Amino acid sequence: MALAKTCEIEWKTTRLKNLTDVAGIDFGGSINESRSAAAPPVIEISEDVRLVNAARDGNRTAFGELYARYARVVHGILLARVPPDEVDDIVHDVFLHAMRKLGSLRDGAAFAGWLAAIARHRAADFHRRSREHVELPEDLAETRATHPEPHSILAMIRALPDAYSETLILRLVEGLTGPEIAARTGLTPGSVRVNLHRGLEQLRARLGQSEKS
Amino acid sequence: MNEKQKSKDDYLWDGSGEPDAEIQRLESALAHFRHDSELHPEPIWTEITSLAHRAGWRARLTFPRLAPALAVAAMVLAAVLFLNRPEALPPVGSSIASWEVSRLAGAPLIGSNRIEESGRLAVGQLLETDASSRANITVGKIGEVEVDPLSRVRLLQARSTENRLALDRGTIHAFISAPPRLFFVDTPSAIAVDLGCAYTLHVDDQGVGLLRVTFGWVEFETHGQQSLIPSGAAAITKPGLGPGTPFFEDAPDALKTSLEKLDFEKLGPQDRAQALHTVLMESRKRDGFTLLNLLREYHGMSKSERTLIYDRLAALIPPPPGVSRAAVVRGNNYMVGLWWDLMGVGHPKKK
Repeated sequence: MALAKTCEIEWKTTRLKNLTDVAGIDFGGSINESRSAAAPPVIEISEDVRLVNAARDGNRTAFGELYARYARVVHGILLARVPPDEVDDIVHDVFLHAMRKLGSLRDGAAFAGWLAAIARHRAADFHRRSREHVELPEDLAETRATHPEPHSILAMIRALPDAYSETLILRLVEGLTGPEIAARTGLTPGSVRVNLHRGLEQLRARLGQSEKS
Repeated sequence: MNEKQKSKDDYLWDGSGEPDAEIQRLESALAHFRHDSELHPEPIWTEITSLAHRAGWRARLTFPRLAPALAVAAMVLAAVLFLNRPEALPPVGSSIASWEVSRLAGAPLIGSNRIEESGRLAVGQLLETDASSRANITVGKIGEVEVDPLSRVRLLQARSTENRLALDRGTIHAFISAPPRLFFVDTPSAIAVDLGCAYTLHVDDQGVGLLRVTFGWVEFETHGQQSLIPSGAAAITKPGLGPGTPFFEDAPDALKTSLEKLDFEKLGPQDRAQALHTVLMESRKRDGFTLLNLLREYHGMSKSERTLIYDRLAALIPPPPGVSRAAVVRGNNYMVGLWWDLMGVGHPKKK
């Protein structure tokens, strides 16, 4: 406990200086990241390697940067699979698990795909555990009264094939660009583009059917 | 593909080009679900740090120093086993593995033998008092145990590193002055571990135990569950269920009654909610200690219950920096530990 407190004080005294040096990140507040400022994937990957190595050595700032870079991706992947109310908690779990297992990741360049896989596994775990307790309603649209339209649209996206729903949610909900989605999920830009187009096409068809009925 | 369509595709791809009205409508409708950029990564790091501290020894074992470390560990283990090797059971009257017992009233029995003025209780022997008898046990050089009427006590271990009684039924009063974890009392459902203290332990005919601490700290433990009880507080333990949540003896009766229901009864959802509501509403600032214990990982509270407990405790005793509601509700015992420092009960002595 005493050691943890010492670390906490040390962290608090050094973090302001460190974090002001990190462009685009305000650890104590919001994450400033504009869609149009997407970095080319190759730079993102080399930056990932640096951040993963630093986080593995216990560098909080590096962890903060990885979180800022990937929180929306993890959130989007989970939102495609678990009830919205549960997503924040599982995002927390995913990062916690990832940081604990970071030592087992041999290639920092593979961090994006590795983290996305952890998020998908955690979502599957959630459903396994949920089955032991309470069946979750399949049709979210029918169970939400406060925001019927957003929930019914989300339910329609979630009903699409996984590859489409995940990519569409990252684009339409989390606000990531196609290149960002590719760089931060480990998918190729070509696959992301196809998923976006086909997913949107299927979503339009469902929205059309919904309006008719 | 015409220019207009290409421009719309660009908007879908990277937000450039001519905005697509339909996509914009979707983006606007779905913004409600977007990741909250105000969420801090700090609670996650705090949790990682706490886990790393706890797992530090495991991490170090993965280094190449594994072999020498194992060799040293083996030597230490051998030394410990040697020092704690079982002693031959001495005859009654030997001073090695038996404790002196003096009669305080009536005619206590050791086995089937009446104690006139004093006798010795050896490992494996039973001390029994009837309705009119009482006895005092001298626990080696570390303390005394008074045995009330209608009690049944067995001596299980009498070593320099472990002194252990079993209280099958009745009441004992322990006064121990020794480093923590040298004196233990087994009950049918939990073990009372002395952490430098004075306490009364009662076990009824159904095996239900009540531990009341008058000085220092006692730990109630079973199957890895630990319940720390400070001076002025008490805890109940029941067979098959183990120890309940510690509470201060001067707490409102309604709180204590509802807490016992929560800890030990199978309640329906409405009764359970009512019991929790009573515990929360009756809690004084001092009872924050009880609420904090309810937030500990093993208590089996649901997420919504933990949220209610967190909110009530935060109203009574605001959490310190670094403690997040989400993490505590999720069962982060490290953060519960940080909060503990504000409860005003201090900490037990460490060995």
